[in-house]
Amino acid sequence: MTFPDPDSFREIDHTGDIGIQVTAPTLPRLFERAALGTFHVLTDLDAVQTPDATSIAVDGRDREALMVRWLSELNYRHTVDNVLYASFEVASIDNANDGLTLTATARGEPIDPNRHTVYTELKAITFHGLDVHKTDNGWAVQVIFDM
Amino acid sequence: MPNYDLEKLDDYRWRVPKQGRMQVPARLYATEEMLEDILSDDAPQQAINVAHMPGIVEASMAMPDIHWGYGFPIGGVAAFDADDGVISPGGVGYDINCGVRLLSSKLKKEDLDRRDTERLVDALFHRVPTGVGSSGALRVDHSTLPRVLKNGAEWAVNEGYGSDADLDVIEEGGQVDGADPDAVSARAKERGLPQLGTLGSGNHFLEVGYVSEIYDEEAARVMGLDEGSVTAIIHSGSRGFGYQVCDDALSDMDKAMNKYNIELPDRQLACTPIDSPEGQKYIRGMQCAINYAFANRQVMAHNTRLAFEDALDVTPREHGLRTVYEVAHNIAKFETHRVNGGEQEVCVHRKGATRALPAGHPLVPGRYQHVGQPVLIPGDMGRYSYVLVGTDAAMDETFGSTCHGAGRQMSRRRARKMAGNRNVTAELANEGIIVRGESSRTVREEISEAYKDVADVVAAVEGAGLSKKVAQLRPLGVIKG
Repeated sequence: MTFPDPDSFREIDHTGDIGIQVTAPTLPRLFERAALGTFHVLTDLDAVQTPDATSIAVDGRDREALMVRWLSELNYRHTVDNVLYASFEVASIDNANDGLTLTATARGEPIDPNRHTVYTELKAITFHGLDVHKTDNGWAVQVIFDM
Repeated sequence: MPNYDLEKLDDYRWRVPKQGRMQVPARLYATEEMLEDILSDDAPQQAINVAHMPGIVEASMAMPDIHWGYGFPIGGVAAFDADDGVISPGGVGYDINCGVRLLSSKLKKEDLDRRDTERLVDALFHRVPTGVGSSGALRVDHSTLPRVLKNGAEWAVNEGYGSDADLDVIEEGGQVDGADPDAVSARAKERGLPQLGTLGSGNHFLEVGYVSEIYDEEAARVMGLDEGSVTAIIHSGSRGFGYQVCDDALSDMDKAMNKYNIELPDRQLACTPIDSPEGQKYIRGMQCAINYAFANRQVMAHNTRLAFEDALDVTPREHGLRTVYEVAHNIAKFETHRVNGGEQEVCVHRKGATRALPAGHPLVPGRYQHVGQPVLIPGDMGRYSYVLVGTDAAMDETFGSTCHGAGRQMSRRRARKMAGNRNVTAELANEGIIVRGESSRTVREEISEAYKDVADVVAAVEGAGLSKKVAQLRPLGVIKG
């Protein structure tokens, strides 16, 4: 299983809501770490095993929309399929038609109330203040959740 | 603290004049004492951003419980011209038709001893599923869901959950027209099937309390609120169904904004013209979510009555739990208001704001015609909530709107840290308040100290003349997510 690197994302503390700041050397890694950061807000990642793999493909008109779609897709599957994910592998981020397409594999397991605590419900991944940008060392983004 | 060129209009009103590409000024309702706190986060900037939106009428308004949202501030009111204006999912919020139902009973506080309250809270916890992804109170199938989405609380009453007397005192009668299930994604429907009759998590709650103080004898009498009467407050919304409707629409509109040459300071304000295909699709879907939330609270109200019967061994006649009123505080609606001396149809967005109609308004139920529409303002779980009524001033100034609650003053993490190893449940029990939470973390995040004092918020709207106090309610028992 993948343990989150403590330097790769951190929670933002905000009055009404919560968010994460994420950095990564490459764009695919940024998307992977943002997903880890999201599930870190939802649960204790150390308790989640990764026997099941799911393929995911999402698109968006730019990197910001792609980030929102990607995290929203994972949150949707978590909610409806009752699963937790703890490992993510982004295979590609390609230019397509009039935007970007991301393909990835998410690994996790069904929620087991005896082993997992789901801390909170993320109503949504918001566009608020979302800016996927290049830094001297790679890429960075801040994502705010509505709780 | 940012400088917003704030002009003081009087003790309760502040204005940021129209500047740059703002279409209208921003107007903030607050006392001077509240202002420092309000200005300490970006919420006033968010009210200014809303003032940039096409077709906004009169002013971008912020109620005294304003706090930082995403896009629109929470506590925001914005009306858009029905012909030239826009509709914005972010101006309603993800939890479409989040709202509050108040019930009053014939029982008195003295009728419930500590053991009764504990049994009652346990019974509520059993009857009304709470917490993350809560489900299981009532599962509908794909053939039934469209009827829920079209008929709202009326569907629930027809299925035996409550009575017509409830419908008379729900905003919009518990059902809005225009809802089109075909405008809603399969995903939203999937999320809606198992969640009717469930509370959810976060700040949602179901509280049993009592009338602790009366400020307006006549209005309280009409509402059936006698001093010491046992009450129940249900705060919840459209659950995963509404979140998905909002999410889907934001995605559609984000793609479509360029097409309509709409440029905004914040992408979360995504909007399209009301009469655009994207706008119309959202409105029809939002109306489904409005009805879903009405049905959800109706089922919970019914199960609240059953919990009273189970726990206290009383008959419906003995507990006499009747709906006082139910308000929506995350909603957009087409309403007619007086603007610049003339009547104008506008689409009023209330995000964390409550409709507050004065006595005599045709939409006020008959029973309340001479006192005004009841307005329900929940506080935090350790202190008190308020019942107000709408006023003419609210109609004149705020498109018939007022505040909606206390507003957080502390982040969830800070609240958890402050709660530390304290046994919050035991502390509240010592004060006579029985709390059951699905998660102890949620209970710690929802400690009283995390919220502003709702009495200050209510004093500010009363001072500004937007509402009038009727009664104060104090908690006896609470179930949380």
